[in-house]
Amino acid sequence: MLNHNTLDEILNKYPAKEKRNRKKHILIKNITQENQEIEANTRTIPGIISSRGCAFAGCKGVVLGPLKDVVNIVHGPIGCGYYAWLTRRNKGVSKAPMKNFLPYCVSTDMQESDIVFGGEKKLARTIDEVVQIFQPQAITISATCPVGLIGDDIQAVARSAREKYGINVTAYSCEGYKGVSQSAGHHIANNGLTEHVIGAGDMEEAPQKYTVNILGEYNIGGDGWVIKKMLEELGYHIQAVMTGDGSFEELSNAHVAELNLVQCHRSINYIASMLEVKYGTPWLKINFIGIRSTVEALRSLALYFGERELIERTEDYITRELARIEPQLLPYRRICAGKTAFCYVGGSRGHHYQGLYEELGIETILAGYVFAHRDDYEGRQVIPNIKSDSDSKNIPDLHVAPDENRFRLKLSPERAAELKDKIALSTYAGMIQDMKDGSVIVDDLNHFETEELIRILKPDIFSSGIKDKYVVQKMGIPSKQLHNYDYSGPYAGFEGALNFARDVAMSFASPTWNYIEPPWAHRPLLEGTLVKGDMENA
Amino acid sequence: MEAIKTMRHSVIENPCHACMPLGAILAFKGIQGAMVIIHGSQGCSTYMRRHISEHYNEPIDVASSSITEPGTIYGGSVHLKKGLDHLIQVYHPELIGILSTCLAETIGEDIARIAAEYTVERDMGAYPLVSVPTPGYGGGHSEGYFLAVRHIIARIARPVPKHHRINVIVPHLTPAEVREIKRIMDLMGVDYILCPDYSETLDSPFARPYQKIAGGGTSLQELAMMGGASATIEMSRCVETHLSPGRYLAGTFEVPLYNSPVPVGIEATDLFVNLLKELTGQPLPDVLQRERGRLLDGMIDSHKYNAEGRAVIFGDPDMVLAVSSICMENGIVPAVAASGVHSKALELEMQTLTAGRTDVATVTETDLAVIRDLAVKAEANIAIGHSDGRYLTEREGIPLVRLGFPIHDRVGGQRLVSVGYAGTMMLLDRITNCLLDSKLSAYRPRMLKKYYSEPSGKF
Repeated sequence: MLNHNTLDEILNKYPAKEKRNRKKHILIKNITQENQEIEANTRTIPGIISSRGCAFAGCKGVVLGPLKDVVNIVHGPIGCGYYAWLTRRNKGVSKAPMKNFLPYCVSTDMQESDIVFGGEKKLARTIDEVVQIFQPQAITISATCPVGLIGDDIQAVARSAREKYGINVTAYSCEGYKGVSQSAGHHIANNGLTEHVIGAGDMEEAPQKYTVNILGEYNIGGDGWVIKKMLEELGYHIQAVMTGDGSFEELSNAHVAELNLVQCHRSINYIASMLEVKYGTPWLKINFIGIRSTVEALRSLALYFGERELIERTEDYITRELARIEPQLLPYRRICAGKTAFCYVGGSRGHHYQGLYEELGIETILAGYVFAHRDDYEGRQVIPNIKSDSDSKNIPDLHVAPDENRFRLKLSPERAAELKDKIALSTYAGMIQDMKDGSVIVDDLNHFETEELIRILKPDIFSSGIKDKYVVQKMGIPSKQLHNYDYSGPYAGFEGALNFARDVAMSFASPTWNYIEPPWAHRPLLEGTLVKGDMENA
Repeated sequence: MEAIKTMRHSVIENPCHACMPLGAILAFKGIQGAMVIIHGSQGCSTYMRRHISEHYNEPIDVASSSITEPGTIYGGSVHLKKGLDHLIQVYHPELIGILSTCLAETIGEDIARIAAEYTVERDMGAYPLVSVPTPGYGGGHSEGYFLAVRHIIARIARPVPKHHRINVIVPHLTPAEVREIKRIMDLMGVDYILCPDYSETLDSPFARPYQKIAGGGTSLQELAMMGGASATIEMSRCVETHLSPGRYLAGTFEVPLYNSPVPVGIEATDLFVNLLKELTGQPLPDVLQRERGRLLDGMIDSHKYNAEGRAVIFGDPDMVLAVSSICMENGIVPAVAASGVHSKALELEMQTLTAGRTDVATVTETDLAVIRDLAVKAEANIAIGHSDGRYLTEREGIPLVRLGFPIHDRVGGQRLVSVGYAGTMMLLDRITNCLLDSKLSAYRPRMLKKYYSEPSGKF
């Protein structure tokens, strides 16, 4: 266990000021203390090797990238487009194979002369060529660092392209230096999609009963497909998924849904809140990772619509699935029982996977987020208390008003109040409340702290991304990538839990580890010195 | 030979190269005890670490000065200096590379000046901070690589008394290839200084305890000695003069420069070992003679299969040239030779290599969409290059032999060996087997169709 003294020893490596800074980002959970506060979403310390990315990564890479029938143009020098090319492994299948643009990377490849003379004309030419080559219904333009600095007006270029071609062209000023992490880019993308895309379709009413959107599900490893299949079997209609395997067509009509389900709170909560104001659609925080969470999500969803038949169908489904999955999990549980994990992922998985680990008998002794805000740790009730700083002010909050024609009150105030006692309606309680006493919560965990905390807490498995994966494996500890799932998955729902159990158990049981000699193998079990005289007596 | 000048349009559709700082990171990874900090938005370092890790399957620690919006207005020197403080305190590096980015260069940050100020302010004497201007729009990763090597040498090499050691500058190869080049030179008794030597740092063995900075790399002492060496062998035909570390050593310290191609293929390896023979006066050892013999034997065995090969080759210019020459040596047509970055040298070298042929197209400063069109037009039946070329397989069914950087959808990219006689044999076998795989998986039905089912009345 980590105590404050050992934590201080680690942090003493930093200069005094940075020690004070980092200390605010690390918590040891204490159940006797109410409202433990953590600092988050503040500037990364320069030179400390963090896993955080930039606003461009959050906007183009995370939120816009998975839209399969949209051509995402990267306006900038080649690197950023190249690095964001299909890197999140989100999967997408298109009814019209020629309209699936996921495998393409399109960049304006700005050169030095463009930096000097401006890149607007090149961007406009690029749009012309994209329309000619791909004939998409929608185009997004994401800005990289130099674009804002040289003053290219990408919004104006987008506007004139909209007029010229009559298609949906949106621009996102998500230059890498905006905000303090990719989180800024999520916000920028959320604003743009709410303003220009959602509601652009002509549907007025939900096409059928139980129509919902799934927000913050990026279909990594096919998670979105598992969730969609499960919900469709239960009789729900999925209008749009934001944005895994997502399409412009569906997204533009997302305003008709009766409820928004929120999987990744961090990256999409802005859309959830704005759609509630604009179209009267409440949102429900659910988590489809882990068996109990999935059960809870399905029950909450049924309760929201409240019809008896739906509730019964849901219960039958849960009983059937549990009976099917539980026995299959047993052999994996035997391998996993008693193990410990670190769970350090982006903005929601650091929390979401803890329940699934627990179901396998693995305790999460350390967890954290790369780019989350305080509300993802402490719960949304802290939002009014979060100090806004110059970095967060740079990302404008979009103020939406109820849509004159399309606002529908989906829930009466009485019914909403009644439901709020039972389900996580338009709220999120955060990670900390689910963690055990004595466990460690770290925001923006860096490489130095990773190594030190592994040395002290000796976890049996480390869940993170590729940047720490090889550090951890070089330390002789299995890692499980929870960003791209090491090309495995899906891990969502009942079926996914089984996949995850298999993958994690395999990590522990691999014969490879037998060839690694433990550090004590060549040390004598007993140490002593030969005292003169002993030999003579012998 | 047809040199296609500008296939470039405004849009780059599926790029064939990454940006400058990525290559520069790789160069610094070959220096003992070195760390790198990128001056710019933290996304740059995160994206590059991610991409390099994925290819090498190694921890890639690269710091960032994490410039945020106010920094773009007031300048980022405070961020960079703070970043250097922290990097030094936590990692104790022997040398630090400072790379600039699109952001830093666009707002006019002078990293060399900031570095100079920093060493004075912190009273650090001659502590080696090596700043390299690498804006993303300044070139591709292969250019960033050479520029960084040149800056490292320029910063550390000293006017030392002449000695008998030989400088060896390698382009971006695999760590296993650097080990192979060292083995060849050891076998020939060459006393060398190889730079940058990432043979251990980017392919480090599992060992306890974990080292924050992987062991290995060209040492500062060796770098300092490079100015007094008896010769420099620079394994690159395509490096531009202003980026060439060998030119720097020749210009500043009058170290004679020998430009050798990457020793892939029998001719290029012959050139390399003959150069070593000439410089050292040592004969070719029996071991290498026998490896050469085995290669020849293998080439004879494989030539009949390879004669059917029409290759599309893409990647870094030096790699493209090396692979094109191995193809030419064994009867494979290098039908399309392409690099993402501009390279006049590649065009000229390809002209010499394929003189008299009309079925070879060289294209530089291009993207994979153009390469795909050319490959289809040329009826290519094999692709040789990095993983991003998988798109040629997915869209056009052209099988891909993975080579170069990055290889992110297969393991072992860092362990591939294609240099020297033995390495050439391994690469040629991979190419031949790829052609055989296409042939054997389909030749029975194809023959049946062509010679029996379709023509009527003949039998």
